[in-house]
Amino acid sequence: MSAFLSPFEAMLDKLFLPARVRAIDAGGDWSPERVEIEQSGFLDALAPDMALPFAEVAALWRAIGRRAAPLAIGKAMIGRSGRDPDTAQPVLLAAAISGAADRVLDMTTAYAGERSQFGKPIGRQQAVQQQLALMAEEVVAIRMAVQLAADCDWPTAERAALAKAVAAMHAPHVASTAHAVHGAIGISAEHDLQLYTRRLHAWRLEEGGETAWSIALGRALLASDENALDWIRNVLF
Amino acid sequence: MRGIAIEAAVSQTGPRVFDTLTLAAIPPEDEALRAQVRALAREAVAGMALDRRARSWMGFDPAFSRRLGAAGLLGLTLPTEYGGGGRGPFARFVVVEELLAAGAPVGAHWIADRQSAPLILNYGTEVQRRAYIPRICRGEALFCIGMSEPGAGSDLAAVRTRAERTGDGWRLNGQKLWTTGAHHVDYMIALVRTSGGPEDRHAGLSQLIVPLKAPGVSVRPIRDLAGDAHFNEVFFEDVDLAADALIGEEGQGWAQVTAELAFERSGPERIYSSHVVLEAWIAHLRAVGRTDDRAAALVGGFAARLAALRAMSIACTARLAAGESPVVEASLVKDLGTAFEQELPLAIADDLAAHPDESADTELVAALRYLTLVAPSFSLRGGTREILRGIIARGMGLR
Repeated sequence: MSAFLSPFEAMLDKLFLPARVRAIDAGGDWSPERVEIEQSGFLDALAPDMALPFAEVAALWRAIGRRAAPLAIGKAMIGRSGRDPDTAQPVLLAAAISGAADRVLDMTTAYAGERSQFGKPIGRQQAVQQQLALMAEEVVAIRMAVQLAADCDWPTAERAALAKAVAAMHAPHVASTAHAVHGAIGISAEHDLQLYTRRLHAWRLEEGGETAWSIALGRALLASDENALDWIRNVLF
Repeated sequence: MRGIAIEAAVSQTGPRVFDTLTLAAIPPEDEALRAQVRALAREAVAGMALDRRARSWMGFDPAFSRRLGAAGLLGLTLPTEYGGGGRGPFARFVVVEELLAAGAPVGAHWIADRQSAPLILNYGTEVQRRAYIPRICRGEALFCIGMSEPGAGSDLAAVRTRAERTGDGWRLNGQKLWTTGAHHVDYMIALVRTSGGPEDRHAGLSQLIVPLKAPGVSVRPIRDLAGDAHFNEVFFEDVDLAADALIGEEGQGWAQVTAELAFERSGPERIYSSHVVLEAWIAHLRAVGRTDDRAAALVGGFAARLAALRAMSIACTARLAAGESPVVEASLVKDLGTAFEQELPLAIADDLAAHPDESADTELVAALRYLTLVAPSFSLRGGTREILRGIIARGMGLR
């Protein structure tokens, strides 16, 4: 793990507690946080003179998503890179989805262990366990697609499409399973679950959902003359 | 409020579920095997109809298995002193990926290479290792898995086949069911009860190596819904086995089987069962020039899922390479992978049915028909979807 991830996470944890996220969602001013982030130097993570490996920056973006912190932080990093934002933005969104999905899975697993019905935690019910297991599979698939896409100097169009297609195709089911397990409390405004599920849906669609990015990926594959496996190995791995 | 209090207890930065699965790369020296395997696989499937290739690890061709053995491509993970390749799980990943992607008939050596040889290496005596592993690596000793019985499917601890000690060995009685390959292969590694009864559950189970030509063993093939006969009923009537038929420790069969199943579940075969129709369909789309948004979205969606699954499978292989037994991780990859394998033939057939004017190749249509029928077995063999999700849930601390 990058030496930069822990301090970045610590900073976000201090600045973007759920109450603060709610205030910002309500249109509140976050310029004090902006100033602190600016001073931290992290906005230059992709700047030419400092540039961290892209994979490490994607890990920072996952941390943003996990905390429902403003994506503007990641967008500023891309803006200062001087490089093609069009292939980095989808990876940012996918990484943010990955972080939020991790968070939602953790919340849902914890809730299933705490909430009791029929005299035992609902997480002891096989029907609930089966749903959580599938949710975990999807969360890992998203994370892996982001790691794969980010394992490069700068993402290609195909890597960007891969990350966003996989993240977007799984995001709604991760959100809906989280709500199914949380029950009515998860629908309430005062429960924090909605801070993350709301973003899963929004980030899924921002700059195109799974169909838009699958079309991009499919067009590239169909235009090549390689078989699918070779194309995937050569272009994405 | 209750929910909010719980939320506060969830750490912002705490341990994340399944962080053990993280991006890994195939080492170049293992990747270097690809060209050699591909050449052998191409040769094996030359002229073979697509629906035969779609059978892949149900395809039985001992001569091909011996060719792979002669080329040093079997037993790659096993030590050289037993005739193995002395390499690691990544080498096996590359070989298996190429064989499956081509639809090569790997069924003859499949079980022996994947799980019997590692089991014998891990739990066998020196004599047993030398007796079986070199022959497995040459493709000359073929194995099947004796787990399921009429009353013991997902509930494997309910096995009733029983072995009792005689003066100088074991006497075996009982029945195995759904045993793939038993009518062709040389040996079964059977999970049997050596003490106690079904009420003792995981205690009292052991694994025995049963030569299938031994007196008292009878094998009856069962026809499947596609017309094939790959699985069998196997009956044991007073089958006398030598003392060294026992593999590992008496009474430790459950722990051994659990480790064996991690091998069975963690390979890339849980992604590629329907791969030949994906490739054939993409070739068809190119040939007819259908690259509209709808086709591209389908192709791209499959490519994205396949890439993510391949990355997950390689990550799982990295856990094997680190010497771990990634039981939970393997279950996770297998469950998601089999869902993908099952969806491919349905979606591709639906796409072609929407374009009847394209007159798709009859081989592709036949392969799709075959895979559509057998696809439900993908999430049965090696552990059902429900069992795997139960294992994952346990890994999440839910049970």
